[in-house]
Amino acid sequence: MQAKASVNQKTGNTLNNAFASHFAKSMFLSVTALAILSFIGTRMFTHVDLNLYGYMVGTIVFLGGFFYRFIAWGERPPTKIILKKGLKLLFRKSTPKTSVEHLATYNFIWNRGIYRWTQHVLIGWGCILSCFVTFPLVFGWMYFTMDDNGHYNIIALGMQVMTVPADGIIANLSYNALNITAVMVIAGVCMALYRRLKNMQARAEQKFLYDFMPLYMLLLVSITGLALTFMNIFLHGAGQPAMSLIHQWSVIITLIYLPFGKLAHIPFRPMSVLARNYREHYAEQAMKECKVCGDQYVSSEQSQDVVDVLGVNDIQFKTKEGHHLAEMCLPCRRKYRIAQFSGFPTHEVKVKEANQNAKG
Amino acid sequence: MKKRLYLELENCIGCRSCLAACTQCGGHEERNRNYVYDVNPLVNRQTMPLMCLHCENPACARSCPAQAIQIHESGAVLSALVEKCIGCQNCTIACPYGIPKFDTEQNLMYKCDLCIDRTKDGIPPMCASVCPSNTLQWLTDEEIENKKKQFNLDNGKWVTSMPYLEGETNVKVNLPGILQGITKLY
Ligand code: HEM
Ligand code: SF4
Ligand code: SF4
Repeated sequence: MQAKASVNQKTGNTLNNAFASHFAKSMFLSVTALAILSFIGTRMFTHVDLNLYGYMVGTIVFLGGFFYRFIAWGERPPTKIILKKGLKLLFRKSTPKTSVEHLATYNFIWNRGIYRWTQHVLIGWGCILSCFVTFPLVFGWMYFTMDDNGHYNIIALGMQVMTVPADGIIANLSYNALNITAVMVIAGVCMALYRRLKNMQARAEQKFLYDFMPLYMLLLVSITGLALTFMNIFLHGAGQPAMSLIHQWSVIITLIYLPFGKLAHIPFRPMSVLARNYREHYAEQAMKECKVCGDQYVSSEQSQDVVDVLGVNDIQFKTKEGHHLAEMCLPCRRKYRIAQFSGFPTHEVKVKEANQNAKG
Repeated sequence: MKKRLYLELENCIGCRSCLAACTQCGGHEERNRNYVYDVNPLVNRQTMPLMCLHCENPACARSCPAQAIQIHESGAVLSALVEKCIGCQNCTIACPYGIPKFDTEQNLMYKCDLCIDRTKDGIPPMCASVCPSNTLQWLTDEEIENKKKQFNLDNGKWVTSMPYLEGETNVKVNLPGILQGITKLY
């Protein structure tokens, strides 16, 4: 049981030994990094904005939850294998293309339906763009200055990257960036909610906390954000402090919730690139041949990894012919089961399986 | 009253109504998730359905790196959560019966979820609702127990799940006898 040993094995170097757990280490390092960043950012804590104090506490609680979930998850044997082998294969030629398709353009969601794709682009990119705008502003990595001649300078990391007319398209886009992304998220979330009403799909999989709560939270964040703009422009800031608190509160709850519900897919999802690399790489190395029909149906590496992972879970699946069920291709494995029921060796009849697709 | 899917395999007449019905369940997106096989295709017409048996210790879920396969409180092993499945296909390799299907275009695994929207409220799954030959039934444990008595036992006529499967399952399988040359008592 080689896999069993390596799963339980602790990698022992001195830094790791100094902490009770991976959790403690990751938490310590992140909080330290945050503290240093804040120290620099606030000029030795002389400029702490108490309005943003909530975000700080929220971020720290979020990190706690995040590491707790991520580490527990990374310790599961199948996860560990894909993470470890996938990270080694990170620099494949196909990685940039796979990453863009999986993480930015979501081609595979397009194949699930244009509606679902549009919905996800609106929500996903709405959120990602908001973060791209918010974080640099909050940490001072990006700011704007105005020249006398009515031109705006966009300054990123201390360098002037662009000068644009103050009433031009780009300037307007950047003042309104967060309003635009808020509208994107609201539209996307409404599409998601509408889909739930119209298509009563898989309601049981949709526990309130798992499924609806993140949608409502995203909605709340976006609406209160938009309301802030509205109050600024049309109400001359009336009600702004209260709304700002509600907005802050909703962001914090969303952050804290993120590692536990549906939104947990955001940090976990890049693993799909690792999984794709893992499959492509080992398929080029050697393919597993079905013990019955000889078809190549998966890489030898993956077949062995699955056998090992099942072994760790005390699942053996030895056939009386002496191999593992995972060493048969899927049609043969199904016929093999029919054979166990009927006593007739269906899998040995050299006939392709009948069409199993009700669409004909 | 908790009911289970119960199969009397040899009743199957190969009509494939179960495949068609499966496509119509909410959330199945018009694709079926079960199988019907010819037992001895070159010789006779006997067929048998092959369904997900909803293992008590499901290999598919154990092998999933993304924890995309959830186990419902009723014991049903659900299809991959659409936002979690990373498309590694471990589950298809792990399942001892070759049940999970994989859509490469959508990068998504899909499998029988026992029509969870129906069965969680005690409504039979689509396949059992339409099966005309009583191959697929939706029964309480008590009814299954009665079947067991009816098919009379000490002499091995009740051929049921365990020796023919890899582990305990929530779906119960029975082969009361035709293929073994024993006359069946309805
Ligand atoms: C790292 C990139 C991301 C990937 C690869 C990804 C992937 C996915 C996938 C595959 C689904 C299922 C969609 C379907 O089949 O209908 C989904 C759903 C969802 N995603 Fe993402 N996502 C990403 C980032 C984000 C971000 C940044 C957000 C913003 C909060 C987000 C919010 C959501 C929500 C709310 C759902 C649920 C939609 C529904 O239930 O109808 N995702 N995501
Ligand atoms: S029969 Fe296969 S797909 Fe169904 S629960 Fe068991 S391992 Fe999973
Ligand atoms: S294909 Fe999807 S559901 Fe199957 S093991 Fe991989 S991540 Fe899990």
